Amino acid sequence: MRKSLLLRNLPFPWVLALRYLRSTRRDAFATFLSVVAAGGLALGVAALIIVLAVISGFQEALRGELLGRTPQIEVELPAGLDAETAAAARDAVQKVPGVVSAQLQVRGGGWLVAGGKVQPVELVGFERQVPRSFPGAAGRRPGLYVPTSLAARWALQPGQMVEVVSPRPTLTPFGPQPRVRSVQIAGTYQSGRTQEERERVALPREVAETLLGGSDRRIEAAAADVDAAIAVASRLSAVVPKGSVVRTWRDLNRPLLFALRLEKALMFVAVSLVVLVAALALVADLALIISNKRAEIGILGTIGATPAVLRRAFVLLGGLVAGSGMLLGTVLGVGCALILDRYKLLPVPGQVYFLDYVPFLVKPADLALVLLLTFFLALASAFYAAQRAASLDPIEAMQA
Amino acid sequence: MSVTVRTAGLHKSYRDGIRRVEVLKGIDMAVEPGEMVAVVGPSGSGKSTLLHLLGGLDRPDSGTVEVAGQLLSGLSGARIAEFRNRTIGFVFQFHQLLPDFTALENVMLPGRIAGLPPAEVYGSARRLLVEVGLGERLEHFPNELSGGERQRVALCRALVLEPPLLLADEPTGNLDPESGELVFQILLELQARHRTTGVLVTHNPEIAARCTRKLRLEDGHLVPGNF
Repeated sequence: MRKSLLLRNLPFPWVLALRYLRSTRRDAFATFLSVVAAGGLALGVAALIIVLAVISGFQEALRGELLGRTPQIEVELPAGLDAETAAAARDAVQKVPGVVSAQLQVRGGGWLVAGGKVQPVELVGFERQVPRSFPGAAGRRPGLYVPTSLAARWALQPGQMVEVVSPRPTLTPFGPQPRVRSVQIAGTYQSGRTQEERERVALPREVAETLLGGSDRRIEAAAADVDAAIAVASRLSAVVPKGSVVRTWRDLNRPLLFALRLEKALMFVAVSLVVLVAALALVADLALIISNKRAEIGILGTIGATPAVLRRAFVLLGGLVAGSGMLLGTVLGVGCALILDRYKLLPVPGQVYFLDYVPFLVKPADLALVLLLTFFLALASAFYAAQRAASLDPIEAMQA
Repeated sequence: MSVTVRTAGLHKSYRDGIRRVEVLKGIDMAVEPGEMVAVVGPSGSGKSTLLHLLGGLDRPDSGTVEVAGQLLSGLSGARIAEFRNRTIGFVFQFHQLLPDFTALENVMLPGRIAGLPPAEVYGSARRLLVEVGLGERLEHFPNELSGGERQRVALCRALVLEPPLLLADEPTGNLDPESGELVFQILLELQARHRTTGVLVTHNPEIAARCTRKLRLEDGHLVPGNF
């Protein structure tokens, strides 16, 4: 003989909720509504997990792509600062705790000319070694480094001479002329797969200074990792010359990072509507069960069940229906995301996008947010419906 | 333990369309410990309303109900439910058993609501059901029982916590004479054994005659009935 629920050491609301969950199966329409509510919540939870995972996946990939090409910390020194003060500022930055490296740079726009072809470029004049924002060439000896994409397009080879042209004029007997320097290509760096406004070219600082002057001097600094860089950057303002601007990788990519966050937030809100609709189905489901059990709720009232006990029982019943949906949705969502990511089942053209497949990343914080939202919506729905059971008058309910 | 039920100046009226119908017009009654009082009267005279007021299932327009020294008007919704659970047992004309629970589980319900240990509640529910001849029907659901059996289960449920007061509303009204007699016999036996105070509403003069005292509800007033 099966052990009666009433013999188990369960609180009475649990006994009632579990028994009604089982007995409801005999009512086809109530069962249908329970399946719709639980299924809707499962779909909503799964959809939210998958959507957030794909956005997080892209964000993570894009972040990696961007951070590889962005200085962790960049200090823009005030215009007109002489070289000695700039070097002193670099040394001061270098001494700040947490700073792993600091390098003085000269920046400016210009053109690269080779074989009769011209390419507008961003010139980055560096000292000592190629900065880390040039992946594939970082840490190498001074020289001219061009992006692989440009090298491939123009068939450039290391050792080949190209001309670097600056818009800063120099006075000649023939009037003002743009400054031109012939520089030997030392190597290439891995160009980005995102659309960049202008290709960047790394060249020794002395060459850059003769072309651009020293009007735009910057210090590129790095910390142990990107998150540490944010904390370190806040300490730099105190040591750099007045009028300097300190930016982190986050400031430098603010519009893009903001757009990504906004996209994620809006998608979350949009897909949450599925959960909301499912929560309303849960209200309908519970309302039907309560309506069917009206007389029984009345009887329970006459034998001493308090409104709080009845409310708790129906909130629990709603919770059991919602919980099964949430569990199914979580398994479905996380499972799909992991499988799609692990086996790269959704390919995209690598030439068009910066990735070859759609990446999925299930973040624990995202998962917690989805489950918390669903839990609260389901709880509010169950509570609303259960309130009806608690407020029934026993005699009226029994005579229904 | 038994109780005295005492009411004073109990008034209750209902709105019937635009008309206000006054059902109880100042009921003063006292039921002594261990008494079984029958309340008789024509249909619609307010017998059930009186029973609901005594059980705290309804509130009077004016007047007081005191059960076991407790004024019911002084209790909130939740407290009155708890008080009912421990102090008052109800039996209705229609068994009012929960269809999703077996006979044994139905009898265990008041004890579980009261928060008593399951094993203890099981013991007393089983003992009572065996006592009323339903030892073989413990695991049956209400729809598997006859009318008389259901009413016996309802009686067990009302008395399982040994409440000091039993309120019965036409407990045999829906049964054939034979089953009705058996149920009433059991009711009287249990009531006498536990010295439970009882108020019984009935149409049946024979049943009323076997109670300790008979009261007649006429035109909203309670008058001593004739045996």
